[in-house]
Amino acid sequence: MTTILDAQGLSKNYGDVAAVDNVSISVKEGALFGLLGPNGSGKTTMIKMLTGQVRPTGGSATVLGLDVTKDPVGVRDRVGIIPEQETPPSFLTSMEYLRFVGAVRKIAGIEEKADWWFDFLEFRDKRNVLCKDLSRGTRQKLMFAQAFIHEPALALIDEPLINFDPIMQDVVKEYLAGYVKNSRTIFLSTHILEVAEEICSEFAILHKGRLLHTGTVAELTGRGEHLPQFFLSLVRKGNHV
Amino acid sequence: MFELFTAMVKEEWRMHSTMFGSLSFALFPVMIFGIAFMGAFLLPLLRTTLPAGNLSLIIHANFLLLGFMVGAFGLLGNEVMNRRFGQASLLAYSARSLPLSEAHIFFVFVVKDVVYYFFLWVFPFGFGYILASPFIGATLPSALLLLLTLTLSFLYGLCTVFFLSALYARSRILLFAALLLLGAAWGFAVLFLSINPAHFFPPMLLFLAFSWTNLLLSLVVLSVLFALSVFLFSPEQTGSAKEFHDAFAPLEQRFAFLPDPPLAAKDLIDLYRSGSAIGQTLFSFLIPLAVIWFFLSFLGPYLPPHGLIFLFAIVTGVIASTMYTWVTMFDSFGPYACLPVAVSRIISGKLTTFALLQIVPVLFIAAVALLSGEAANLVPAVVLCLAVSFYAAGVMVWLTGLSPNVLVYDVKVLAVYLVLIGIVLTIFSALAFENPLYALFSALLFLPAWLFVRRGKARWDAVDPSGF
Repeated sequence: MTTILDAQGLSKNYGDVAAVDNVSISVKEGALFGLLGPNGSGKTTMIKMLTGQVRPTGGSATVLGLDVTKDPVGVRDRVGIIPEQETPPSFLTSMEYLRFVGAVRKIAGIEEKADWWFDFLEFRDKRNVLCKDLSRGTRQKLMFAQAFIHEPALALIDEPLINFDPIMQDVVKEYLAGYVKNSRTIFLSTHILEVAEEICSEFAILHKGRLLHTGTVAELTGRGEHLPQFFLSLVRKGNHV
Repeated sequence: MFELFTAMVKEEWRMHSTMFGSLSFALFPVMIFGIAFMGAFLLPLLRTTLPAGNLSLIIHANFLLLGFMVGAFGLLGNEVMNRRFGQASLLAYSARSLPLSEAHIFFVFVVKDVVYYFFLWVFPFGFGYILASPFIGATLPSALLLLLTLTLSFLYGLCTVFFLSALYARSRILLFAALLLLGAAWGFAVLFLSINPAHFFPPMLLFLAFSWTNLLLSLVVLSVLFALSVFLFSPEQTGSAKEFHDAFAPLEQRFAFLPDPPLAAKDLIDLYRSGSAIGQTLFSFLIPLAVIWFFLSFLGPYLPPHGLIFLFAIVTGVIASTMYTWVTMFDSFGPYACLPVAVSRIISGKLTTFALLQIVPVLFIAAVALLSGEAANLVPAVVLCLAVSFYAAGVMVWLTGLSPNVLVYDVKVLAVYLVLIGIVLTIFSALAFENPLYALFSALLFLPAWLFVRRGKARWDAVDPSGF
């Protein structure tokens, strides 16, 4: 299996605060990789570094063979990203935003592709409504669509399910599980442990910017353990370190 | 009410210190104080060429404009903060979560703006002058009077923009009708009844001739403006499900000749739908320039022949350069973070939109040249205006990247900006005063403008986007 994402000793400091501290992670093609951690553990900063949105203060990382520091735009060109906060431009409509994404990414047949996503995520009725007037859930649908509309080899998605109702969560989980079957990869950041256990093949646990554990869900379940309990015991131990 | 007031003041301070850095921002009133204190020593020199009345007119006009700017930003604050910091929420927009009415919150918001900006801008300036007054032969009462009338000028600007925007929110037709009516009444009074224009600006009248009646007049007019603003205030309703036709695809096709059509199309839609295209043109461009034109016209006798049109072209150029802030204030790196777009490309897109908007100052200068009988100097005046505008925008890009609002309150950045702009303005105003055709040499400014933009793009590509 090809390594799609490789981070070695990745660190990010904001002044004296280490948001991410010497983290090494490797993700293979076809994985649905879950980056888990409590609030403020450094998950979002990791995704921002891996997509060239912020520069690491230490270590290095390659994504799809591209150095995230030397070619951040190249990385963002080849991956799909859902940021932590849903931030489509306020004064474009949903359709206009997808057209904008299509024009920037030079995607052919954007109209048809956008229509497929409006139907799939059930928000066709919001097609011509300004993004600022959309509910959080609908904005999340739109951000989901823009991340996958060009069918990237790797998608890095930050809490993609958090604003969805249970029905939509189910639709999206099924989509993500199916997406990786075609040799495509997903790097998912979440603190919803049940979802991670259900759909992720591999996972890493971050706490206070440090990597506590990496492994596969199969290993855990093979030992008769469940991810939520494993996570909680590890993080509680980490709190006392 | 007092709790809300103190919370709003804290919020305003934290917002500014987050954007500009605590130290840089804290130094800002010190810098204003320094400018006023040192500037006061130049007054005896200035009075040899310019009557004291005209000089005080210009200073009062500046504080009137300051009030305009503070008021305009306050009304846009929530949207700007959302774009810059993500899901920002200001207390001024918290009526849904607090047991207070919109009008009550707006009232406290206005009071907060008055107090906060008084101590940030007005008081340091007045205090600098008061401390310098014994050394330049000015009496303490006259210095205190200046502080009072500058405060009133600032409040007039603030309340006028709140009043006009309250009208605008109710009905655009009402606003334009009110402006037309006021303009016509003012023109009639000045041209046909020969009434001193200063009578229409009570703080100036008070400064020129202090009396309790004039003070009362100033306060009454101000109170009426303030009361009407609160009375007419209608909060924006969010969550509308209004549908819009696709404007992006046609605009992108129309601007296919531009370097980056998608970014230009998005910016223009942003400007139009946010109301900035009309609102900013009116409140940040046309009204300030009309006021400046009025005040600059007093300088005519002290300038060389044809000097006024070139002075006005330079001032218009500086104000036109702030159109770069219009196209960046509703945007930050956030919406582009998930796309293959570098900061330098966003800057290029913003400058493309900025270039398209320059049609407004060109038309404005053309109109002024024709109305003031300076048609012969139209071309050099337009070239000078555009050259200054592009040069100042280039400096802004280099200094601030996608956050030109930083310029206003970061002392270090502002100092560099003022030096770089000041040198150029001095050189080219002197050249234009010497010979109108020499204004055409200002076209040379496009070269440093381009260099500043090039260096700015490299600079801002090399750092993490601010506020992200």
